Amino acid sequence: MSDKGRTFVVSATEQFWKPSSRRSFLKLLGVGGTLVLAPTLFEACDSYTPVTAPGTGGSGGAAALDLSTDIGILNYAYALEQLEAAFYTAVVGSAAFGSLNAEQQEVMNDLRNHEVIHREFFKAALGAGAIGSLAFNSTAVASTLTSGAVILKNAETFEDLGVSAYNGAGKYLKSADYLTLAGKIVSVEARHAAAIRDIRDAAGVSGGDATGTRFAGDDVVASTGATAGLDVKLEPSSVLSRVGSTGLLTTMVSISASPSGTATPDAGPPSPTP
Amino acid sequence: MDRNQTILGNVEPDITQRLVSRREAILKGAAVGSSVAAGLAMMSAPIAFAALSREAFGQSTPTSVQAVIDFALKLEIFENEFYKAVLGISAVPAQNAAFAAVRAMVPAAAIPSIQQIQKHEVEHVAFLTANGAVNSLRLDGTSFDFTGGRGTGTGPFAQATLDVNFLLLVAQGAEDTGVRAYKGQAPNLMSNPAVLEAALRIHSVEARHASKIRRLRRMTGATSVKYSGTITGGGAGAAGAGNVSNPAAGAVTALGLIYAGEDNVMQGGINVTALPNLPSGIDVTAAATEAFDEPLTASAVVAIVQPFFIPSLS
Repeated sequence: MSDKGRTFVVSATEQFWKPSSRRSFLKLLGVGGTLVLAPTLFEACDSYTPVTAPGTGGSGGAAALDLSTDIGILNYAYALEQLEAAFYTAVVGSAAFGSLNAEQQEVMNDLRNHEVIHREFFKAALGAGAIGSLAFNSTAVASTLTSGAVILKNAETFEDLGVSAYNGAGKYLKSADYLTLAGKIVSVEARHAAAIRDIRDAAGVSGGDATGTRFAGDDVVASTGATAGLDVKLEPSSVLSRVGSTGLLTTMVSISASPSGTATPDAGPPSPTP
Repeated sequence: MDRNQTILGNVEPDITQRLVSRREAILKGAAVGSSVAAGLAMMSAPIAFAALSREAFGQSTPTSVQAVIDFALKLEIFENEFYKAVLGISAVPAQNAAFAAVRAMVPAAAIPSIQQIQKHEVEHVAFLTANGAVNSLRLDGTSFDFTGGRGTGTGPFAQATLDVNFLLLVAQGAEDTGVRAYKGQAPNLMSNPAVLEAALRIHSVEARHASKIRRLRRMTGATSVKYSGTITGGGAGAAGAGNVSNPAAGAVTALGLIYAGEDNVMQGGINVTALPNLPSGIDVTAAATEAFDEPLTASAVVAIVQPFFIPSLS
């Protein structure tokens, strides 16, 4: 019996801890089944509401990513850029923004500009092939903006996640031009990540890193073993799982086809971010 | 090994080294195609080599993966030896001595950051070497002239040994060049997804470094450099050298090469400054150049770094 074409619905993060769910999940990844991150997962609630298929996710609609194609990979990037752009747009309009110092405000404004540009660029480049605009849970978004410190912590999470996502997806692109485009963006995300981490370093957040090293700390750049000196990376399914656990999206984002290529072991940033 | 040397006696030594290191990789269990395995099983190096040329070096050209990681190793050794000299831990006393005066001017809070960067450069050298990169020029601490004078010690960057603002400007240039170099080579690694992914993971570490150095510079008076660690505009102006007094003409020229084309706003055929829904009241051109980093070709990178290497890179 083949699982190809079958759908595995993840509606609560705890499912990943249950052996039977994990086994079905891994099995499906191997055969190109459909992984659905249900809205219940995005809302990060404890209750479990079964969802049977993509497209029945509720008010936020759905977006299916066929990661076996370059267009699907670019849409995956577009989804992440939509998330980042929405976050920073909300940041600069938030009450807590005023509590940030001048340096921090400059960085938040820059990051808002860059991420909105990335979002609009992908939308224009993908044209008719683009997924729709993602919808956000306004209550969840508000919870990311409750203070300057909370804003900076969430910014770090998004930037490190962005670096992880691009680093993990580049190998699946078939077009050299698209790979170069992704490369042009990922180094900007890495600059952002380092800047936010450095700001939090100066504010006394160590996360286990020695003072002055958090911009490229040992918690994100491997410091031991065969991958020492290498930055974070996550496979798309891992990134979407983490996005789901933020509870920010009401759109149901699903992977309708796995990437064509060999997955590598994940080396993600700490989650949750210290 | 004798058998290999006999068979490969007429082959260029660099190629022999590559083959031997590839063979070691294979013996360690690297996944290879059946034709390679068959060639090795028959102890027929030419057959295995021909197969490797296709399978490991890309479809047609040997400039692919091996050439890229060899090139990357040169740049990483350069960066590592530069920071070792700055920190006073080079194996070459003269390199340490050259930076002794400026070392005392580096803000104490910046030292752990520079040490962290240097640690990563050592790790990058080790990673590339462990994955088959060959240091064919036998580069070490004696191979570099950090004044950019090809061994004269009087190049246009000599000011870096006297002026901490200039020193950090050079570090920024080295990191930004590294980011551009890896970005430019990524398409040449597509035949080997594992190596490509590793290179991307090194690429983003270099970008983190570049961001931190830019922030250090902003905090010490380089007011046109962004706290976000991103590159505004292109050409020498993108270096943000406003806090450096009277840089040598040769240094300005070099900075122009390092940031050439960073002011590009056309991405995938789309003019980024003309996109809809951008925030109002912002400098759209500045933001568009910051939002995308640009690649450099290998030859452009060589033109930038050759003055710092005493051996010829071409």
